[in-house]
Amino acid sequence: MRKISRLLIANRGEIAARVARTAKARGLEVAVLRHAAEEAGPAHAIADQVVTIEGPTPVAAYLDIPQIVAAARKAGADAVHPGYGFLSENAAFVRALDAAGLIFVGPTAEVIDLMGDKVRARAFVAERGFPVAPSAIEDDDPASFIARSRAVGYPLLIKPSAGGGGKGMRIVREDSLLAAEIETARREGQRYFGDGRLFVERYIERPRHIEVQVMGDGRGNVVHFWERECSIQRRFQKIVEETPSPALSPAQRLEICETAAGIARAVNYRGAGTVEFIYAQDGGFYFLEMNTRLQVEHPVTEMVTGFDLVAEQLRIAEGEGLSTGQADIRQHGHSIELRICAEDAAADFRPAIGKILLLDEPRGEGVRVDSGILEGGRVTADFDPMLAKLIVHGGNRAEAIARARAAVRDYVILGVTTNTGYLDAILAHPAFAAGNVSTGFLAEEAETLTAPGEDMREALIAAAALSDQWLLYEVGQISEIHRRMGAWRN
Amino acid sequence: MRRIFEIGGEEREFWLSHDGRGYALHEGARQYSAALTPAEGKGAYVLEYEGRRIPLRLAVGDGATFIHLNGRAWEVGVIDPAERLAGAGAGAGGDVVLAPMPGVVVSVAVQPGDAVVEGQPILVIESMKLETTLTAPRGGRVAEIGFGPGESFGLKAVLARLAPEEG
Repeated sequence: MRKISRLLIANRGEIAARVARTAKARGLEVAVLRHAAEEAGPAHAIADQVVTIEGPTPVAAYLDIPQIVAAARKAGADAVHPGYGFLSENAAFVRALDAAGLIFVGPTAEVIDLMGDKVRARAFVAERGFPVAPSAIEDDDPASFIARSRAVGYPLLIKPSAGGGGKGMRIVREDSLLAAEIETARREGQRYFGDGRLFVERYIERPRHIEVQVMGDGRGNVVHFWERECSIQRRFQKIVEETPSPALSPAQRLEICETAAGIARAVNYRGAGTVEFIYAQDGGFYFLEMNTRLQVEHPVTEMVTGFDLVAEQLRIAEGEGLSTGQADIRQHGHSIELRICAEDAAADFRPAIGKILLLDEPRGEGVRVDSGILEGGRVTADFDPMLAKLIVHGGNRAEAIARARAAVRDYVILGVTTNTGYLDAILAHPAFAAGNVSTGFLAEEAETLTAPGEDMREALIAAAALSDQWLLYEVGQISEIHRRMGAWRN
Repeated sequence: MRRIFEIGGEEREFWLSHDGRGYALHEGARQYSAALTPAEGKGAYVLEYEGRRIPLRLAVGDGATFIHLNGRAWEVGVIDPAERLAGAGAGAGGDVVLAPMPGVVVSVAVQPGDAVVEGQPILVIESMKLETTLTAPRGGRVAEIGFGPGESFGLKAVLARLAPEEG
């Protein structure tokens, strides 16, 4: 048992604010970071202390291990919460904190190392009897790689061993193309990751992405907080997540969640983690990877289970263990999260920048907003385009969708282009309402989802004209002249 | 008084007039009256136009007005034709390398004063975790590089400029 009194949050944006709120509620003092080129956000207003970090770019500063460790020391912190992204899954960072005598709110460096290596993680999971898609790993025996790939069966997917984010992946449906596609994938892997090693696995047609929230105390106790469905993705990145998954029967739900907990138990997991699965149309599911951190989409789990996952993380980091047992973790109602991003969905999700001139967040029963922006702030290209998350809860899925639509239509962000209209179009799509989607949904329905809708251009132009003070002044001057001329003429 | 309004890449030119009681917009021969009245809430107004009463939220930015209406947000570019006239000729299209999207400069391959041929890499940018190489739009001499490695820029920022062609 080692009580945390001061926590450094080594992250920014909405997650820094979200972690800070729970930490403050637990009586901790909170320090956060800020780069000189970075706008003040909600986290800076909540925190007790702001430590300035430096670097050629803001992102480089947040990835600078010695600097972040020094910032923790400077702040007098005894623990560091990494959020997601940045250094959250960096084993070298965990070792540096260990060496400095600081608590890392997360798993051990060894577990991060194991799960961070996709090929090793897969082999580990498969050896213990958990389901993985049929596959072949080049490193096992490079000479027989093509023959072993053929044995996996078509269609198959070639992936770079060092990969991520969908880069360098190739789908092969015909044996005659296999050798050429392997060479292309190797070149891409070399270019993107400096590593041309490959593996192949059976390609699952129209897959769904289902993941399970797990939590362990590092002393052998592991529970799951049920699943999340994250099939709505653009550029391999999730933008709408929900729980429960509309695809699963109660029996399948229990099976996939217990599989995830079993995988976490096999590594004696400590802290919050997520086991991701590919879910096939025939009901089969296969281990994809384990993320050894809090996920962006964790709030939907909090909304349906009623647990504060950050509070659980902090308890575990202090050695207090979990606040609950598996039997008391239940799903109540339905929750949906929408990622509000500064991007133009109609222009291939091009990131947008600008100054937030007006911000009015939706409120109401079952509506939660985790935001990283403030009115007057500037959105730059320095960071990920996600500005905030809108999370809703309803008694059932239909109610949650209706509530999400009302809330996203009420979310006013003026001054920078965002995807709120696009998110509303996803929620309004009949296939989404039916729960009949796969990870290809956004690409397949691109045209429908970015359709312009009712032509409001004349109304918009009228509003723009009548709010143009200089234009009104000029028109006023002219009518004044006419009025005087009229008077004179009379 | 004239203004050019731009929505989704399309430009339309309007006149605004006042007849002593209210405003009217004119586009070519078409004319319609409109009124914008403040309502309760930050940036909230009601637009009366063509017999409809449309509640909206509005914020005026630099060169563009942002409007939230009917559950969606739009950006309306507002251009004063007089200013456009004054700004014309300040660099023909072929002289500049414009940012196709907001991003960060990864590396710069040339320096001001360097001679380049058409298609020669000028700089590498990163956006959405993808790198893109931008090349010279024509042969010539580099006059200016707008941003250094690590610096971030916005959409349509001038990343590089070539010296004007002689003759």
